[in-house]
Parts: sequence; structure tokens; C-alpha cells
Amino acid sequence: MRGIIPFVAGAAIALSAGWAGFPYAIYKSRPQPVDFSHRVHAEKAGAKCEDCHAFRNDGTFAGIPSLDKCTGCHAAAMGTTAAEKNFIDQYVTPQREPQWAAYARQPENVFFSHIAHVKLGQVKCETCHGDQGSTDKLPRYQEDRISGYSRDIWGTAGRPGMTMDNCVDCHRKQKLEREHSCLECHK
Amino acid sequence: MTTTRRGLLQFLGGSAVGALFTPAPWRLITDTALWSENWPGIPRPARGEIRAKFTNCSLCTAGCAVRARSVGDQPVALAGVAGGLCPFGLTAHHLPYHPARLKQGPVKEAAAAVADAIAQCGPSEHVAVLDLRPGRTASWTYRRAMASVHNGLYLAPPEPTVAVNLRNAKTVLSLGAPLLDGWGTPADVFAARDGFRLIQAEPIESRTAALADQWIVWDRPPGLSADATSLSALAQAIAGEMTVSEAATITGLPADQIQSLVKELKDNGPALVVDSEMSPAVVALNVRLGSWGRTIGPRQEAPVPESWKKAAPRTDLAAVPDRSIRVLLIDESTPGEYLPWESIEKKLAANAVVGAFAPWTQGYGRHAQYVLPTAVYPEALDDIPPAIDSVAAAFRIAAPLVAPPAGMVSPVEFIAGAAGLPASDALRERADAIHKAGRGTLVTYADGKSIPVKDVKPEDFWKSLNAGARWVDGALGAAVAAAGVASGLGGADPLVRSRPPGRLSAPAQQADEGVGSGPGGPPHYPLTIVTESRAAFLSSPLLSQIYQESNLRLAPNRIALHPTDAASSGIADGAHAFLETRDGKREVQVTVDSSVRPGVVLVVGQTDTASSGAKVVRI
Ligand code: SF4
Repeated sequence: MRGIIPFVAGAAIALSAGWAGFPYAIYKSRPQPVDFSHRVHAEKAGAKCEDCHAFRNDGTFAGIPSLDKCTGCHAAAMGTTAAEKNFIDQYVTPQREPQWAAYARQPENVFFSHIAHVKLGQVKCETCHGDQGSTDKLPRYQEDRISGYSRDIWGTAGRPGMTMDNCVDCHRKQKLEREHSCLECHK
Repeated sequence: MTTTRRGLLQFLGGSAVGALFTPAPWRLITDTALWSENWPGIPRPARGEIRAKFTNCSLCTAGCAVRARSVGDQPVALAGVAGGLCPFGLTAHHLPYHPARLKQGPVKEAAAAVADAIAQCGPSEHVAVLDLRPGRTASWTYRRAMASVHNGLYLAPPEPTVAVNLRNAKTVLSLGAPLLDGWGTPADVFAARDGFRLIQAEPIESRTAALADQWIVWDRPPGLSADATSLSALAQAIAGEMTVSEAATITGLPADQIQSLVKELKDNGPALVVDSEMSPAVVALNVRLGSWGRTIGPRQEAPVPESWKKAAPRTDLAAVPDRSIRVLLIDESTPGEYLPWESIEKKLAANAVVGAFAPWTQGYGRHAQYVLPTAVYPEALDDIPPAIDSVAAAFRIAAPLVAPPAGMVSPVEFIAGAAGLPASDALRERADAIHKAGRGTLVTYADGKSIPVKDVKPEDFWKSLNAGARWVDGALGAAVAAAGVASGLGGADPLVRSRPPGRLSAPAQQADEGVGSGPGGPPHYPLTIVTESRAAFLSSPLLSQIYQESNLRLAPNRIALHPTDAASSGIADGAHAFLETRDGKREVQVTVDSSVRPGVVLVVGQTDTASSGAKVVRI
């Protein structure tokens, strides 16, 4: 009977490490370069998602706006907050692009068409990106240490992730055909 | 409590079992699989805005109009503008990444050595530029450069003096020209194809022969393009100056075949007779058929600045005295003609300095002391000489789609600098001269518009040319635009109706220099030489990876023999041998191919041997 104690102890330690420690250890995280508030931009400036995250004329998705877009309004400081000062000093004045970490950036072997989902599939931004558009602070970017994938697509653990399973799950739920059509995404 | 080995093993066993019930091992497997799909070795597709850029393909003189799909600054797919591209053109955006790409070269050393050699050049020695693709603006710079140095020579293969208009032709007799295989502008040739009946006369079943309406197996005379006597006989048969049976004896074709050929050329006009290089005898035959000004006419050239006209003339390499070239600079930066090294080498002085400008480590660089790396299409800025089926003068720029890597050398700047020509932007000067002439039309690819040049400002004209456009002379510009700006310049308009060259207005009566020209032929040269396609780019080092290394087509250093001829010379497939003609011999590698006619030795590219008999001697 005594012989089982080390076995149980080992199992218990592995279980707790595997369930409690591993999910954190596997990710590394970093803050976004600029303290950006979607809420302020949406509420005060009345900006809509597509004002900054626009489709180009050719239908491709421009993704995160470049500094040019920001300086359209922030050519000089708009307010006195530390975040605004940091943004102006670090990026606007030296004309340096902020190195944003894109939560939803697809790996190189995947082709994801935003316009097909948004215009054709009528999927709302919030369906994938949650309440990101109304948050006050950008969450830390979490990246899988091995695969290099972003943990999820709106910066909060437990939300839809970046793996193929996540895509397939959603397509299955929507009863969409072609869920196994490899070349749709892996062109 | 003491720790025993047994206890430790039990602990590890428990840990292992416990771990299996956590996400960790499964996640590690998944993550490793994901990592393996994206590890550093895999190509990274370009990201960025998708744009269309326009240019002209400079891989051959067809100069097809190209629409490049670019992601950011990187072209990722090429397509024709209202017309197709050939497989080479379609995949040309991969050329900059060719494994044999030359990335650096001894530029300073080469410049110093060339300057020294020019300074020490003896009175009977020459400084020469070998331009493998004449007819470009760069060619004019070379000619001007050679005019400004003592004993300068501009060496280049001959350019065709005529242009053909397939759209106007009802019957086309092709004497071994690879008409449907890259001879003209593919999009235009195929657009016109339904309008003419094609009779292909050649000894082998080439792709053009296979696609022709009629294939005449005409293995005598073998050097079809050079056989003036046979063509003259055909011309006289057409004019009724010679009986069909006499013509049959001279040409070696059956009398009934001559009869039907003559009837077809006369009755189903306008007719056009072509051979690979539009030899004088073929032009004369066309004149005889009344085709001059309808399906064939003089080749037109875009205007050049007046000050350029004091330029060195083209000199044939064969005309240069042996051992007289002290400095030779070879421009093989764009695919062009190939001259066997043996024919160049014998012209070099013992202490000659040879420099080659090339994007690849192959080619003449193997023989030159200095090999300088150049940009390659689609990185290089160059213009494109008119294609054989360009019925109007045209000016097309191959504008770069990507920036060339650092360290590339411009052969034009190097040669102009070595000759002491003041630095200038020759392409821009030529564009300005064209604009100043005020003729013709600017056809822009992005919107398919054609605008008379006189309505365009010089600056806009230059900008448009660099953004994908072509200048086409005269009213033909509008026809080209109407035809969809495709690729070539063949319009429905008649050709320029100038008088045919005097020496061509009568049937050619030149003595037959052909090989094997008579039935008897020189007995010690039992084989007759047939040159394969003159589509020079196919024999360029550029495409060696695809065609030559896989031996799909004859490389310039290869010949092909029928198995019986190979066997009678004791030569096996792949063996090295000497190809001997009355002009000399050179070493070749032999491909034994049963599709070659017995008695024929098939060579590629050069036609200087095509007029002679040959023998192949095992080494
Ligand atoms: S035919 Fe010549 S110009 Fe046209 S795409 Fe092919 S290589 Fe380029």
C-alpha cells in the first residue's frame, strides 16, 4: 500500500503542473507598443471599425492602420495623457511605425480572406474579435513559444484561437460546406 | 522517509501517467506540428497591398505586354495584357532567384584592366563590343562608344531587314521557320493563325510542322534559308519562267508538289514566304509574289536623336581579322543570339582583355577574365528591339518590376564610361526624340487607351512608357489599341509601301553557296547542316536550366544526328566530336535522335555554318 504513495504523488504533481502551470508556461507575452483605447476612438471620435481597419480597393484587408492614418488626427498631441505623449514622442515625431502585435495575424501557410467572411458571409467583426472594439486597453499579446501562433484572436484567453480546429469548428457550426476543402485556405 | 530507487521509479511512473491526462503532451505534439509548417526554411509569401504593374517582357524581341500582380513591391504572378505570354514570360519573375545568379564581380579591376588595354591598343588592334541583342537603345550607345575609340568595332549578329504581316496573309509558306514556336509575337501569331493556310517545309516534324495545315518534308536543300538556287527556281516556276519539272529537279521536291505549291501561292494570296532569318532569297521570292507592301515590308526603327547618328556600323565577327581584338566586352545581359566561343576566340589577340556582362555564371563568363553581374528581367531597365512581325516602328521599355540587388553593373554605363562618352540617360533621350518627332500613338496598358503623341507632354510620355505602355508609329497605333494592345504590333494595316530593296526586286540568282547544294555535294562532307529555330532566347544561358540541361532542345554546343549517321561515324549519344565544315571545326556534344532526318546534322542558333556541308568526327 505504501508503494502507491510515490506513484500518486507523481501523478498529482504532473496533473497540477499540466493543468495549472503548462498553459501559462507555453506562452510568452508582450505589451502592445502603444497604450491604445478602442473605446475612446469609438465613442469620442465616433470611429467605426472599417474607418481604420479598411478594405483596399482590390478587396484585400489593410489590417492594422499605418502611422499615416493615425497622424491624420494625431499630427500633434491630442490631450495630455502619458499614453498620448509617448505616442507622439516615440512614433509620430520620428515617423516610426509602431510594431503592433496582431492578435489575428495568420501564419504564412494560411490564406484568410477577410472580405469573404465580412461581405459574403455577413460575419460581424465582433463574432471573431469580440468586444475588442470597445475595450479601454489592449491586452498583452500572447504567443505560443513553440508554434509562434497568437493565443487567440482578440487578446483574451479562452476566445477563438488561431488553429485550424478553430476554423473548422466555426464552419461546422455555421453548417458551411467545404469545411474540408484544403485549398480554400492553404493555397 | 527514505527515498528508494523503487519509490523514485514509482514517482516517475505516476508523473508520466498523470501527464497523459493533462493537455501538455498533446499540445506539444500539436505545436511541434504547427512549428514544422512554419519553420524558418519555408518560403515566406510577400504580404502587402496587391497592385497591378505593367511592363514589357524583354526575354525576346516579341516584347509582350505584361501585367504583373504584385504584393507590395514583389511581383507574384505575370500575365499577358489582352494576349498570352509564353511559358518563359509567365515564369520570368523567378529569374532573379535563379541558382546560377551572379551576385558580385570585380568591377574596379575590370575597369582598370579595360582602361589599360585601351590605352595600350596597337594600331592594328581593335576595341570591340559584342552586342548579342542588337537594335536596342543600348546598342546605339555601344555603337557611339565604339565610334569614339580608336579602332572601335561594334560586333553584332545581323538583324532582319524586313518585317512580316501575318494578318494580311492568306497563304504562308514557311521554310523551316519556327513560326508557331516563338518566331514572332505569340499572341499576334496565334490571333492571325486562323486567317492563313500554313505550309511548313522542313526536314523534321517540328512543332510548327505538326501544327501546320501541310507539312512538306523538304530535306533537300538542307540549309533551306541559304538555298538561293532552290528558292530562285521556285520563283521562276511561279513566274512561268521555268517549268515545274525543271524546278522539281533543282529543288528536289516532287513535280506535283511544286505544281500545287505554285498554284496555291499564286491563287490564294496575299502570300508570304518566310524562313528563320528572312534571307535575301526569301525576300526576293516575296517580291516576285507581289507580297511586298502587303505581307512583307521594310523593318521600321523608332527615331533616335540626331547626335547619335555618328555611330560605328555593325561589323560581322567573321570580317574581323584573326588575333586582332585587344579588348572585347560582351553584353549578354539580355537573352540574345549565341556565337560559338571558337569563332570569337580566334579573333582575340594573345593579350586580349575579355569582359562579359551577364546575370549568370554560365555563358561567355566561362571564357572571360572579368565577369560582371548585371540585372535581369524583370529587374533591368532596357528597351526591346522590334519583333519580326512588328509592322510598325515601336518603342517599348521593360520597366523594372523589382529593384535589382546591390552591386549590379550596367553594361551601358561601363562601356560608355570606358569609351569616354559623357554619362547620359539614353533611354530618356530616345523617348524625347520620339516625342519630338510628334508621330505615332502612345498605347497605355492599364486603361487600354491610345493617345496621339502630339497630345502628350514629354514628361507624361516618359512616365507612361515606364508605367507600361508602348509607342507605335503612325496610324498603326490605333489599330494595335483596337486589337487589344496585345503583345505585338501586327495590325490589319498594310505595311509601309516603300520600294523593295533594289537587289531584291528580281529573283535571286546568287550562286548557291549551300551545302550539299547539288546532288553531288562535296564528298568529304556527307552531312548537310540544318539550323534549328532562330528564336535566340531559347539558346540563351537564361533558359539553360529548363531546356539545355534537360536536353529538351539542342544547346548551342550540341548537334543532333540520326542513329544511322551516328553509327556510321562511330559516335554514341552524348559523345564529344568535332563538327567540321569547310570553314573550320568546333567541338560539340552529340545527341542521337531518330527524329532527325538521315544525312542531316541539326545545329542550333548560328547560321554561319548553314550554308555548308559537314562531317562529324569522333574525338
Ligand atoms: S514570347 Fe518573348 S516577350 Fe513574349 S512572354 Fe515569351 S519570352 Fe516574353
